[in-house]
Amino acid sequence: MSLNKSTLALAGILLATTALGTGAAFAQAKVAIVTPYMAQPGTQFYVEAFQAVADENDWDVNVIDTAGDVAAVISRIEDLVVQNVDAIVINVDPTQVTAGLQAAKDAGIPVFGMDAGADPLLVTNVTSNGYAMAAETSTYVADRIKGEGNVVMFVFEAFPPVQVRGVVADAVFGNYPDIKVLDRVTPDVSDGGIADSRAKMEAILSANPEPGSIKAVWAAWDQPALGALQAIEDAGRSGEGIVITGIDANPQAREAIAAGGNFEASVAQDFSGIGAATADAVARVLAGEEILQSVTYVPTKLITKANATE
Amino acid sequence: MVFIRRYGTLIGFVAILVFFSVMLPATFPTARNWLNITQQTSMLMVVAAGMTVVMVMGDFDLSVGSAASLAGIVAALMMAAGQPIWAAVSIALAVGLLGGAFNGAMVSLVGILPFIATLATMTMFSGLAFVVSGGKTISGRAIPEDFGNFARGGIPLGDWGGVAVSLPNLSIIAILVILVVWILLEQTTFGRRLYAMGGNMEAAHLSGIAVKRLRLIAFSLTGLAAAAGGLMYASRVASANPVQGSGLMLNAIAAVFLGTTMSRHGEPRILATVVGVIVLGVLDNGLTQLSVDSYIRQVLVGALILVAVGAGSLGQKRR
Repeated sequence: MSLNKSTLALAGILLATTALGTGAAFAQAKVAIVTPYMAQPGTQFYVEAFQAVADENDWDVNVIDTAGDVAAVISRIEDLVVQNVDAIVINVDPTQVTAGLQAAKDAGIPVFGMDAGADPLLVTNVTSNGYAMAAETSTYVADRIKGEGNVVMFVFEAFPPVQVRGVVADAVFGNYPDIKVLDRVTPDVSDGGIADSRAKMEAILSANPEPGSIKAVWAAWDQPALGALQAIEDAGRSGEGIVITGIDANPQAREAIAAGGNFEASVAQDFSGIGAATADAVARVLAGEEILQSVTYVPTKLITKANATE
Repeated sequence: MVFIRRYGTLIGFVAILVFFSVMLPATFPTARNWLNITQQTSMLMVVAAGMTVVMVMGDFDLSVGSAASLAGIVAALMMAAGQPIWAAVSIALAVGLLGGAFNGAMVSLVGILPFIATLATMTMFSGLAFVVSGGKTISGRAIPEDFGNFARGGIPLGDWGGVAVSLPNLSIIAILVILVVWILLEQTTFGRRLYAMGGNMEAAHLSGIAVKRLRLIAFSLTGLAAAAGGLMYASRVASANPVQGSGLMLNAIAAVFLGTTMSRHGEPRILATVVGVIVLGVLDNGLTQLSVDSYIRQVLVGALILVAVGAGSLGQKRR
């Protein structure tokens, strides 16, 4: 009896999977997205935009979420290689899944990075351009202070994606003879970066008490900008027109920018754009084109009071 | 009736194999795919083998996932600091053994219920992994290439339909661990005493079995296996982060439970655990190839455990 019941139930489960799994026609291109980070908001935007393009191309897209398990990403890539899919898209640090990427390469299956990190085993990695993001905010600062005055910079050399932002800001400010970089601060980020940036900014404000002696604060990411904002407001110097900019446009930064205080601008990555551009790259390779750039950059967007709440 | 109850799961397992073989004739029943599956399940295999040892006594270890993460982090930090791989691996295994012994001491010497004791150490080990790593993922050049290459290597088995296949190193480790646990549980007095304790702890104690000492040893072995699983994971992803082993715990317990439906009195047996692990691995592998949603797969695994264990206990009640 129990055998009948359990085999019946099993048969039911298996039949259900047949219905779920094999509805796709055979002529379609099979494309799989593998990510351990589906629960993160950015990832969902990538995937939705990717699927929109995939629908236009009539691809059979298989989205696989390993729920944080990076080793499972390798396992699923191996399965996809055995299944002989047409293309694989990953959204995970490629150096952690080299075993899977190698298996795909050996089988001649192209793998694309969707904000994954550059890697020789990827056809291309589609991401935002850190240099361009820093150029947006540093030129915003230079224009707002009309090319003259003292600027405080918050940088972080130890983390490569943030380090490149500082390089660009240095170049932009250096190109204005009347802009002086008063201080180049590396905050302690162990507590998130806001508190220590605030303390560092308080010290700089005390050292420069004259109104107008600090024209702007350029931060390589949002946390130091938020810390500097708190220091300026608490010192009662928010009326001096000190311009603050950050990068990343996180929710707290958007709120501060929308409030219309000293924090005037930040830069948002275009997650949907990254998803769509990845799908375009897949389409080009499936059409037989060769992609030469190992990194494909997607434009970012300057966030000011005008669009902070969008 | 006993025959049916005991072999229902095995028949179900074969049904799954037949199903995937029919649906994916060109890719599923191939040597290459099966070698993939043995490699993909190798980490879970080792952790589940360790879990079997304590579950034989009717105990649990909820801390195996955290212990695996901690072992990976310890090894990665030592390698990042320039220590040789053998030293990093040995110390990480020692950490697992000590963590397991600590579990054993809490359970057998202090007398805390295993569920509660290992729930507490689960959060402790996880916290420690965060403390020593600062919450960061250790990857890239900090990890020696040889360490990552180990998980990618194997013993070449020659050509199979034009594709070079090899027995992966991780699969070899898993097979060795299974062999050791099989000898330990099935061929030694140590194993028979654990089963006696699982049958009736009090009776085992009264019959002169050193219950406390054996329990301590059993938990230590589970911790050691968890650390080994964590190291295999770290080698496979050539990196370590403080949460990467956390998925192993529930899957290990699920695999052992699936296995218990195949034994005479519902007790854990190592070879049955192996089947349990392979069922989970085959579902992952086959459903991915059938493009079934990864969330549906989770629902299916849960349903499968209920069906298998439920059928078993219904059969028992009727007797």
